[in-house]
Amino acid sequence: MRTRLAPWLTLGVPTVFLVALFVLPLLSMLVLSVWRTENYHIVQDWNLRNYWVLATDGAYATFLLRSIAMATAVSVICTAIAWPVAYGITLYGGRYKLLLTLGFAVPFLTGEVLRVIALQGLLGPVGLVNGVLMSLGAAPLRAIMYTNVASAIGLVYLYLPIVVTVIYLSLLNFDQRLLDAAKIFGASPARAFFEIAWPLNLFGTLIGFALCFIPCLSATLAPRFLGGPNGTLYGMAMAQQFGESGTWALGAAMGVVLFALSIAAVFVAFRTVDLRRTGFTGFGRG
Amino acid sequence: MSYISLDGVSKQYGAAWAVDRVAMAIEKNEFVSLLGPSGSGKTTLLRIIAGLEKPTNGRVLIGGEDVTDLPPHKRGVAMVFQEFLLFPHRTVRENLAFPLRMLKLPKTEADERIDWVLGILSLRGLEGRYPNQLSGGQQQRVALGRGLVGRPKALLLDEPLANLDRELRQEMEVEIRKHQTALGIPFIYVTHNQEEALSMSDRIAVVRNGRIEDFAPRAEIYDRPKTAFIAQFVGRSNRFVGVLKREGATAAIDAGAVALATADRPELKDGAAVAAYVKNEKIRLRTPETLRALGANALAATVKHVILRGAYAEYVLTWAAGEMIASRPRAEVEFSAGDAVVAHWDPADVDVFPEKEAAA
Repeated sequence: MRTRLAPWLTLGVPTVFLVALFVLPLLSMLVLSVWRTENYHIVQDWNLRNYWVLATDGAYATFLLRSIAMATAVSVICTAIAWPVAYGITLYGGRYKLLLTLGFAVPFLTGEVLRVIALQGLLGPVGLVNGVLMSLGAAPLRAIMYTNVASAIGLVYLYLPIVVTVIYLSLLNFDQRLLDAAKIFGASPARAFFEIAWPLNLFGTLIGFALCFIPCLSATLAPRFLGGPNGTLYGMAMAQQFGESGTWALGAAMGVVLFALSIAAVFVAFRTVDLRRTGFTGFGRG
Repeated sequence: MSYISLDGVSKQYGAAWAVDRVAMAIEKNEFVSLLGPSGSGKTTLLRIIAGLEKPTNGRVLIGGEDVTDLPPHKRGVAMVFQEFLLFPHRTVRENLAFPLRMLKLPKTEADERIDWVLGILSLRGLEGRYPNQLSGGQQQRVALGRGLVGRPKALLLDEPLANLDRELRQEMEVEIRKHQTALGIPFIYVTHNQEEALSMSDRIAVVRNGRIEDFAPRAEIYDRPKTAFIAQFVGRSNRFVGVLKREGATAAIDAGAVALATADRPELKDGAAVAAYVKNEKIRLRTPETLRALGANALAATVKHVILRGAYAEYVLTWAAGEMIASRPRAEVEFSAGDAVVAHWDPADVDVFPEKEAAA
């Protein structure tokens, strides 16, 4: 009996959890997206008008494209910074490895709002960077004053710790001695990296990339506080539907579109990447 | 000029010397083993030859060229690792192709080489498998094949059989030696297993505390150990501690309950405390009534138990000063537990060393 109970318990609890807190809210969003809101009231008549608005009103497409561009740029930058950092920690961290990795997570100990506002104080027109520049008689950097660049800096700052941690964990499972083997068989250090270290950590890198990319798509705080008039991102617009404008049904439709897009991106990523080519051994023998 | 030379090679880690002033000369057709207990520095020495570690002092020469400052990928040597270290994201064929791709060999020649290796290592039919779909023995073969396929200047083997079971190990010993003879390149083989070293090598270097204790043909290492450490580490021996008495052409050792006789040791002082070693298989057993006729190098003992090893038997004996072991072929007269016997041996089979050195 015990052996029967264990799998039910270990797989059942997460299933209940997922259904109750993830699938059900998602379904409710789906339903809400085909209803309608009028004067802060939900009207239950089934229609696809919300999706029609999203498809025809150019602003939403702009927000979405801008968000995708922003999320791609931020994820690429985060990955590019995180790789050498995580690699350096595994190679030279010695007994401080864990401490160094945890150090990256310290900003998480404050709230996201606080972190964004602190960054605003740094980058804004009277912020630290421009304040110093101006007191030295130089022109202020306009590029970081309420622009998409400022948003990007904020998002990189917000999500870099996650990407570093994920890539670090991937590298922790990577047998560095494989690089020795590659070098012995004639690969220069750079060649050994791209032949061995990169493909064997591609899976981890993709997870890190996705964990940065997807929240960036729906980011609201960073563009609101750091972005300028041209800085409205999809997530920020979506949050507005649930807040100021009270058009919840449209917001729900935006959410559904975002979810479908994320799922599609993950699906494409996993279809393109051959897990075996990343040394993934979860298939067992045979 | 030897093919591979190590000239005063040392490696320092912190305050300790992992490798200490090692000088070795290895010929082109030689199979050499570095034999030593774990932590003796033999793997570090191998990694220095490979270029994976830089020596603190000294020079490494391969094929007459000073490679001390060359990185591993420019040395043209290959290596087989204890943990195999096959590339897990590559198939067998791709693993074997790796050294050839790095050499930028034309495709037809590369295919020929891969085919040759698949053939000599009986790997045909496994080309498309990934390493985790192979048994330990198959992985070992692929690792060996990856070492041979690039026709390296030398093959370095770091305890390659340690993760295999006994039968497979013996099979692979024969095979590895066969390939070395066929290819005519030096194999340098690191092991802590004396049987592996003895079965394959031309010469054995016994490594201890980062130094080469002795580097000599395998029979010499086994039959005429140069130091007490080698006498203890290579083969299985019985140890007797006593006082040396030099008597012209012979020397006698008074070990309390037994007297040992051997050839004179001019390097040892009269009256010195010494340890004498007699290998298990050099000890012969007879029936008790022969004791008086034998004199020195003989003692009365009782068989405590008998361990059957197949081709031979190990007799655990108790005598006046403790226990000892004699290994005898099964074809000889057999004794059983409780029998009274006489154990005796030849003066030539007694190895004597100063006791201070033996204790260290």
